[in-house]
Amino acid sequence: MAIGLLLVPFAGFSGYLIRLLAMIFFWIGKAGCWNIISGYTGYIDFGAVGYYGIGSYVTAILMSKGHVPFLVSILISGVVSALIALPIGLPTLRLRGAYFGIATLAFAEAMKQIFLEFDKTVGVNFFEGPHGITLPIGPKNEFFYYIGLVVMVAVVGITYWIKRSKFGYALRAIHEAEHAAELSGVDTLRAKIKAYMISAFFLGLIGGVEAYWLTYITPHMVFDVVITIQMVVMSLLGGIGTVFGPVVGASFLTIIYELLHRDFPYTYTIIVGFIVVMVVLLMPKGILGTLQTKRVAQKGRLTQ
Amino acid sequence: MAILEGRNLTKYFGALAAVNSVDFSVENGEILGMIGPNGAGKSTLFNVIMGVYKPDKGEVVLKGETISGLKPHKICRMGIAKTSQIVQPFTQMTVLENVLVGGLHGKNLSFSNATREAEEILEFVGLGGLKGMASGSITVPDRRRLELARAIATGAEIILLDENMAGLNPTEIEEVLKLLREIRKQGKTLIVVEHIMRAVMGISDRIIVLNYGEKIADGTPAEVANNEKVIEAYLGQKVCFV
Repeated sequence: MAIGLLLVPFAGFSGYLIRLLAMIFFWIGKAGCWNIISGYTGYIDFGAVGYYGIGSYVTAILMSKGHVPFLVSILISGVVSALIALPIGLPTLRLRGAYFGIATLAFAEAMKQIFLEFDKTVGVNFFEGPHGITLPIGPKNEFFYYIGLVVMVAVVGITYWIKRSKFGYALRAIHEAEHAAELSGVDTLRAKIKAYMISAFFLGLIGGVEAYWLTYITPHMVFDVVITIQMVVMSLLGGIGTVFGPVVGASFLTIIYELLHRDFPYTYTIIVGFIVVMVVLLMPKGILGTLQTKRVAQKGRLTQ
Repeated sequence: MAILEGRNLTKYFGALAAVNSVDFSVENGEILGMIGPNGAGKSTLFNVIMGVYKPDKGEVVLKGETISGLKPHKICRMGIAKTSQIVQPFTQMTVLENVLVGGLHGKNLSFSNATREAEEILEFVGLGGLKGMASGSITVPDRRRLELARAIATGAEIILLDENMAGLNPTEIEEVLKLLREIRKQGKTLIVVEHIMRAVMGISDRIIVLNYGEKIADGTPAEVANNEKVIEAYLGQKVCFV
């Protein structure tokens, strides 16, 4: 499987397929980032796109105005996003439930407004407001295919590592009963902030890569709340809080979108909505989560 | 020397003094009972000790060091753990994993050491056979034992038990009391909040009584049981019929 994915660009597949696979990799990355904070801790982040957008702009500005190399730019994107996540996370991660969701949503919308209005307000030409920024023309799709593959493996790998680490136990304990976790010696605020910053780092990095891929970004594109919603839906579909849930969910949804978009260009969103509702109703823990529960139940019956 | 001391502890909720100028001390290895009518401030005092609430006045001193103002996880790592009145297991985790959290974070052990200790502790509290079960699917008495196991796993020298026997039948209570005596034998100090008088009178070396946030008595179970103020708090004032 792994070698197969490495060789895809050499197998003579169409450019379309390579582009589609790269898209899937980036969606897995984004949904995986959301899953690290929200899947593990249960703090539902509706502002994830904020870090994606910040990352997009950092890379766009560095590459178009500073002529900084791509790889350096995307790393700086990740670092800047993570650093912004610290002062945002410190107050918001003390909020519970819907309040955290609303606060993060407000953060992402505020960022969009800042990027839209900053230049006009201050009187400079830096973020270029609603006109957006054009990046240097990037290499071919194969390049982004490999970058996407690396990013996806990194996000999934870190999710897997977290699950098996002390840190992961802290996050799961926070998810189940935060007060009891704190009383059991878990530094709950620190663990939440750490997860939030890791999530923001990779979102920023992915934002940077995708900005270079798109070659043109505006605040409306990269701070679009629909991107956050996609991450949420993909994670929920695949199985929230599982390592491979976002992989399954993002692949499933992206492929469904592509297939339906081709055959039903006007009605595909209705069909996708129907499929999502059915999956949520029939598999409330997501595709992977439900399969895992079934397996555990079977094992339980066998041992009895 | 007292291992844990409360000095002039006061905690207000609005204008209400839930805990009012309470002094107490616990000796190393002692079992201290804490009783009082509903709303007397027992749980609040526990939360003040654990750092869940910051006292408005006074201080909590652990082995000569002031700990009030620190966060609960810090206080836990310094050696105080609490079991909650309302059991809060990490329901999606197995019984073993629940106890692991205490060892990994409260005691900062490696995975292999924490696992070994967690298994020993589960055997000790009598949950050895359930370690692979999801903690959400075990019975209430077992959940109470699990809370206790998690508290022990944090390596705490002092364990605060907030109504750990509520809802248990007399046989189950006997078992818990036996377990608590075993824990004390290992050198731990226990503070027990309990409504079941027979249990708390039987196990405590010393008892303090709270009423309306104030300490009204402090002494051996026998002394406390015969204290005028205590009888008054529980049964009301004696009425004199001439």
